[in-house]
Amino acid sequence: MITLSNISFKWHKKALSNTLNIPYLSINKGEHVFLHGPSGCGKSTLLSLLAGINSPTSGELTILGKSLQMLTKAKRDAFRADNIGYIFQNFNLLPYLTPIENVVLGCQFSTSRKRNALKHASSLEQQAAHLLNALGLDTNLHYSNAADLSIGQQQRVAAARAFIGSPAIIIADEPTSALDTDNRQHFINLLFEQAKNSNSTLVFVSHDNSLQPLFNRSINLVTLQDKL
Amino acid sequence: MILAKLAFKSLLNRRASVCLTLLTIAISVMLLLSIERIRLDAKSSFSNTISGTDLIVGARTGDIQLLLSSVFRIGHANNGISWESYNYIKNQRGVKWTIPISLGDSHKGNAVLGTSPDYFTYYRYAKKQNLRFVAGQAFKHINDVVLGNEVATKLGYKLGDSIVISHGMGNTSFHHHKDNPFTVVGILAPTGTPVDKTLHIPLGAIDLIHASHSRHASSAHDEHDEHDEHDEHDEHDEHDEHDEHDEHDEHDEHDEHDEQNNALIGQPKQITAFLMGFNSPLYTLQMRRNINQYKPEALLAIMPAVTLKELWEMLTIVEKVLLLFSAVVVLISLLGMLTTLLANLNQRRRELAILRSVGAKPWHIFTLMSIESLFITLLGCIVGCIWFYVLMLTSATYLQTHAGISINITSLSYYELTLIAIIMGSGFIIGLIPATRAYFYSLTDGMSIKV
Ligand SMILES: Nc1ncnc2c1ncn2[C@@H]1O[C@H](COP(=O)(O)OP(=O)(O)OP(=O)(O)O)[C@@H](O)[C@H]1O
Ligand SMILES: [Mg+2]
Repeated sequence: MITLSNISFKWHKKALSNTLNIPYLSINKGEHVFLHGPSGCGKSTLLSLLAGINSPTSGELTILGKSLQMLTKAKRDAFRADNIGYIFQNFNLLPYLTPIENVVLGCQFSTSRKRNALKHASSLEQQAAHLLNALGLDTNLHYSNAADLSIGQQQRVAAARAFIGSPAIIIADEPTSALDTDNRQHFINLLFEQAKNSNSTLVFVSHDNSLQPLFNRSINLVTLQDKL
Repeated sequence: MILAKLAFKSLLNRRASVCLTLLTIAISVMLLLSIERIRLDAKSSFSNTISGTDLIVGARTGDIQLLLSSVFRIGHANNGISWESYNYIKNQRGVKWTIPISLGDSHKGNAVLGTSPDYFTYYRYAKKQNLRFVAGQAFKHINDVVLGNEVATKLGYKLGDSIVISHGMGNTSFHHHKDNPFTVVGILAPTGTPVDKTLHIPLGAIDLIHASHSRHASSAHDEHDEHDEHDEHDEHDEHDEHDEHDEHDEHDEHDEHDEQNNALIGQPKQITAFLMGFNSPLYTLQMRRNINQYKPEALLAIMPAVTLKELWEMLTIVEKVLLLFSAVVVLISLLGMLTTLLANLNQRRRELAILRSVGAKPWHIFTLMSIESLFITLLGCIVGCIWFYVLMLTSATYLQTHAGISINITSLSYYELTLIAIIMGSGFIIGLIPATRAYFYSLTDGMSIKV
C-alpha cells in the first residue's frame, strides 16, 4: 500500500545531513498507524512526502502501486487530490466558506472523489452533510460561519473533508493537539469509524503517547531511522 | 469554476478592504472618464463655435488673435476695416453673404455686437445650425437689441425691456448714459457658444453709442451745452429716416427692406471684422489670397475651421497634462489594489496550504489570485462607469451654463471603452504580482502552515 525503501530527504540541496533517512517502511491497507517522535524529528516532513508535496532526495516511495518520485509535480498534486485526505493540527477551514462548502472542497479537485462521493448521495452537499452528521456536527451548524465553530467542531469538519469521496489514505498531522482529553478520545474514535467505513488507511501523527494504545500499529520515527 | 467561486467568497469575506480598493478604482475610473469626456466635449463645443463661415476678415493681426476677437470676443482688435474696403470685397464675384461685425462695447460684462440683420440668417454654429429665437425676432429698428440666451436668463431681461448700452469694455463703465436705451425685441435660443453672452444691436446703433460717448467726453471738457442740440438733431434725423420709410413703403417692398437694412447698418467709418460665405467653397482660397494682398488696406482673412484647429492645438499641452493626471490617478488606485492584495497575502498563506492539501496545484492558486484582482478591477470599472454617468447627468447643466460645454450623455464611445480595457489590462497585469507571489508561496510552503 505505502512502501518506503532507502528514503532520504533533505530540505536544501546543500544541507549537510538528511532530515529523513528511512531504510524501510511499509504500511498496509486499512492500517491505523500512530506515528510519533520528538519535535523536529521529521514527522511532518515525512507526511509531506507521503502527500506528494515534496519528493524524496533518494530512495523509492510507492503509494498504491505508484512510484511517486516518477510523477511530475502536477501529477502528484492530482494524485493527492484523488487519494489523500489531509487533516492539519488546527485552522483547517477556509473561513469564508460554510462547513458544508469546506467539506465539499475536499473533492473539488478530483473527479474520482466526486464520483465516489456521489455513490452514497445525490449531491456533494448531501454527502458532506451526511459525513458531518456522522462526525457529530449538529445540522444547524452546517451552514453557519466556519470561523465561528469551536476548535473541536472545526476538526470534525476537517475530518469530514478528508473523508469525503473515500480517499485511500487519510493523513492527520497532530489533529487533536488543540483538543482536550475527552474530545481527543471521541474525535479519534470518530476517525476510526469513518476510516473503517471507507476502508481507508490512516496515518496519524501525535506527540501524545497516551493515544498510542488506540491504534493497531505504532511507529517511532526516531527508532525507525536508528536502524540505519 | 470552483476557483471563481472561491475567489468571490474570499473577496466577500474581506469586503471591507476590498470595498476600499474598489472605491479608489471606481473613483479613478470615474475621474478619467469624466476628464476625457469633458475634454472631448469641450473640444467639440469649441470647434462648434462657428461653422458655415468660409472666411473671417479683419485688420491685419495674427490669425488666432483675429479669431479670438471676432468669434470668442476675447482680446480687443485695435484696428478695424474701413467701410470702403468692406463694400469693395463684399461686391466681389462669388460672395454669397457677408456679416459685418463691430465689437468693443459691453453691457454688464457681456459683449455688444453691432451687426446687420443678415447675422440672424447666415450665422451658423455647431453642425451648420442657424440661430433660433426663443422669443421675439431680429432687430428692425435702430434701437432694438437681440439678446443671447445667457444674457437674457442671467440678467433677467424680457421682451420689451429697456437696456442701456455703454461704450467701452468692462463691467463698470464710467459713461453710463440714459441717452440710448435699447428695447429687447428678440432672445436667441442657447447655442453653447459666445453668442449666448452677446447683445446684438444694429451696426448703425454702434455709431450712436459712440456719438453719445464722444459728446459726453467733450461735454466733460467743455462747459457748452452743445450736446443737447446734437441730441435733438440726432432724434430729428432718425425721425426723418423713419418718415422716408413710410413713404417708400407704399412703393416697393423690396426697396423698403433694403432701405430699412441700410438704416440699420448706417454708414460706419469702420467695422471690426466681417464674416463671409461664398457660393462655392472653391472661391475661398483665391479670395483669401486676394484679401491678404489687398493693397489699399492691410487686411487678414482666416478660415475659421483651420484657425480653430490651430488654436486648439495650442491648448493640447493642457489636454495632455489633464490626461496624464487622470492616468496617474488610475495608476495609484491600481497600486493601492496591489498593496492590499500583497498585504492580505501573508495572512492568507494558511488558506493556500489548505487549498494545496485538497489537491490544488500551484497554478490553481495563481489563477485564484488573478481572478481576485481581475474581479476587483472589473467591478471598480463598472462602478466607476455608473458614477461617471451619474456625475455627467448631474453636472451637464452646470457645465453648459458655466463653461459653455455641452455634454453629450451617450453610451461609452469606442475610445472610452478602450480606456476601460486599458485599465482592466493594467489591473490584470498588476494583479499578476500577488498571484506570482502566491504561486511561489504555495510552492515553497507546500502544506506546511507558516503564519
Ligand atoms: N519548509 C521547510 N524548509 C526547510 N526546513 C524545514 C522545513 N520544514 C521543516 N524543516 C526542518 O525539517 C526538520 C523536521 O521538521 P518537521 O516539521 O518535519 O518536524 P516534526 O517532527 O513535524 O516536528 P513537530 O512535532 O514540532 O511538528 C526540522 O529541523 C525543520 O527545521
Ligand atoms: Mg509537525
